[in-house]
Amino acid sequence: MKLLIVEDDTEAARAMVTGLAEKGHQCETAGDGEEGLRAARDGRFDVLVVDRMMPRMDGVTMVETLRREGVQTPVLFLSALGEINDRVAGLNAGGDDYLVKPYALAELLARVEALARRRELGSVQTLLKVGDLEMDLIAREVRRAGGEIDLQPREFQLLEFLMRHGGQSVTRTMLLEKVWEYHFDPQTNVIDVHISRLRSKIDKGFDKPMLQTVRGAGYRLEA
Amino acid sequence: MRLPRLFRTTPFRLTLLFLGLFAAAASLFLAYIYIATAGEVTMRADARVLREMTSLEGVYADGGINALNEAVIERGSVDHPMIYLLIDPQGHVSGTITESPVKAFSGERTWVSFSVADKDPDGVTVRQPARGLEEALPDGAKLFVGADIGEAEFYVNKILRALWGAGALMAVLGLAGGLFVSRNVSRSMAGLTDVIGKAQGGDLHARAEVRGTGDEYDELAAGLNDMLDRLERSVGGLRHAGDAIAHDLRSPLTRLRARLEAAMIEVDAGRSDAKAALHQALEDADGVLRTFGAVLAIARLEAAGDAPGQSVFDAAELAASVAELYEPLCEDKGQEFQIEATPGLTMRGNREFIAQALANILDNAVKYTPEGGAIMLRARRRSSGDVEISVTDTGPGIPPEDRARVVERFVRLENSRNAPGAGLGLSLVSAVAQAHRGHLDLDEGPGSLDGGGPGVRVALVFPSAG
Repeated sequence: MKLLIVEDDTEAARAMVTGLAEKGHQCETAGDGEEGLRAARDGRFDVLVVDRMMPRMDGVTMVETLRREGVQTPVLFLSALGEINDRVAGLNAGGDDYLVKPYALAELLARVEALARRRELGSVQTLLKVGDLEMDLIAREVRRAGGEIDLQPREFQLLEFLMRHGGQSVTRTMLLEKVWEYHFDPQTNVIDVHISRLRSKIDKGFDKPMLQTVRGAGYRLEA
Repeated sequence: MRLPRLFRTTPFRLTLLFLGLFAAAASLFLAYIYIATAGEVTMRADARVLREMTSLEGVYADGGINALNEAVIERGSVDHPMIYLLIDPQGHVSGTITESPVKAFSGERTWVSFSVADKDPDGVTVRQPARGLEEALPDGAKLFVGADIGEAEFYVNKILRALWGAGALMAVLGLAGGLFVSRNVSRSMAGLTDVIGKAQGGDLHARAEVRGTGDEYDELAAGLNDMLDRLERSVGGLRHAGDAIAHDLRSPLTRLRARLEAAMIEVDAGRSDAKAALHQALEDADGVLRTFGAVLAIARLEAAGDAPGQSVFDAAELAASVAELYEPLCEDKGQEFQIEATPGLTMRGNREFIAQALANILDNAVKYTPEGGAIMLRARRRSSGDVEISVTDTGPGIPPEDRARVVERFVRLENSRNAPGAGLGLSLVSAVAQAHRGHLDLDEGPGSLDGGGPGVRVALVFPSAG
């Protein structure tokens, strides 16, 4: 994956590049919004990681300009500002996701990969398929190896998100944000309990568990 | 040079301004009265003179110059006479004056304003203003008739003097009144200025005196005191937060530093694995960041006053949504979970903050309630219209004497030392409640049932919308 990191803190940018390169991603960096805008204009990147507050041109202005020019590359905003209104401002400017500093590298990786994947899929799907697991979004039915699985509405949403990101790590925070639409971290791991319930429904009776725990990151649905 | 303080006050300036305006208006009025009365006096005198002249011309037409001469002498001898002068063609004069006041006679008729000498009751000679008319008669004689307007002028002058006097009195009284009002206002303001000065100097304890008169100064003083109360709380909170952050970050940061240092020695000596040390360091750093984030969130909420980003939503729906998040966790821990929410609990607030507050309360309940205990979430509208979201558990409870304390930052009760958490949960809940002008209630739980603890009932109360 080709990534552009637009961040004025060179130390932070270097750490990000190290972590992302480790996972096989190619990274370029830009030190401010103007530089980032020049680099991102031709749309050759898969995902842009943009710091909100930078000298010369801030991240919001940069992304607004890009979107006006018709560049649709997915954008992940990084910010020390975590209030809801800051988040909304970032998303309104054309950002696709918003990550509050400080963050764990695993969180950044998972979100960048999720954004790239979303772009790949593009069109609206009505049938999701991961391995022998199938989800019909219209009939709202889930089957594994042909056998129907009965899910509660929230479990259905949770599985839908995991299936859309099949094969990728998703973090607890991502699940809380995208499935429950809450932007805070519960102190105890409430998400784990939901996952283990879902796991007991989709993996029970099968030799190969699909819903796996990724140490230090979150979960992954493997085919 | 600067004027004395009293003269620089707003009320005094206003007094001067109004005094100036009034003086200008009074001057115009005075001028009008003077012109009107003085003009009237002259006009009336002229009419009298003209009447007399016409009457004497009649005498002259009937009886010639001799009859006219007799008439002039006769009319000139009565009390308060008019002024007469007849000069016959030969230059003989008769009448009440000896010389015509008309210096440049134009031939036909000439009007003149002049003055005559008269004696006042004390025998002093005074000169009085007068109006006169001189006419040439057909045989070459000249007749002059004049009228004394001194008395009328005297009244006009009297009125003028009265007006001037009134004006002067008004100016003096106005200035004195202005000074009096300014001094009173200054005295009222001095208290406020003093309090503001102290606040500027960093003393937020000073309060302005509210005298209970209910006037605008009282309102201002009450408003100022209110503002200072809020400011003091907020600054106190920030100061406390600063101390708390310093205190609570110092120990984990010290631990982190020591651990890194020790790890370096161990790794150098080849006795230990660097990875384990780094892993521990990361965990420590995460802990510090979490604490920092929570303290920051509380401080921001307290500093903001009213919670930002408010919208109207159904509290029952919110309670159900957070309950749905926690229910599996309770079941996993062997706790009985129940929710009771009256639908249609419309309220106004920041949904995200309130969800987080409720999540914190449920976190605590799940953490402290033993297996086999029960947790009850209830959302209802109180009869006062307030919306109440409460969580009751059957955990060990909070002793009444500690209830006020647990809301403070970083306070963790002795028996909770081994449970995870930074002790910021309820502080954040309380900050969220206050940012919505609501409050956090801590009460006794359902009591010691089935060997369980007394439990605790934590209630978030939000005032009714509107």
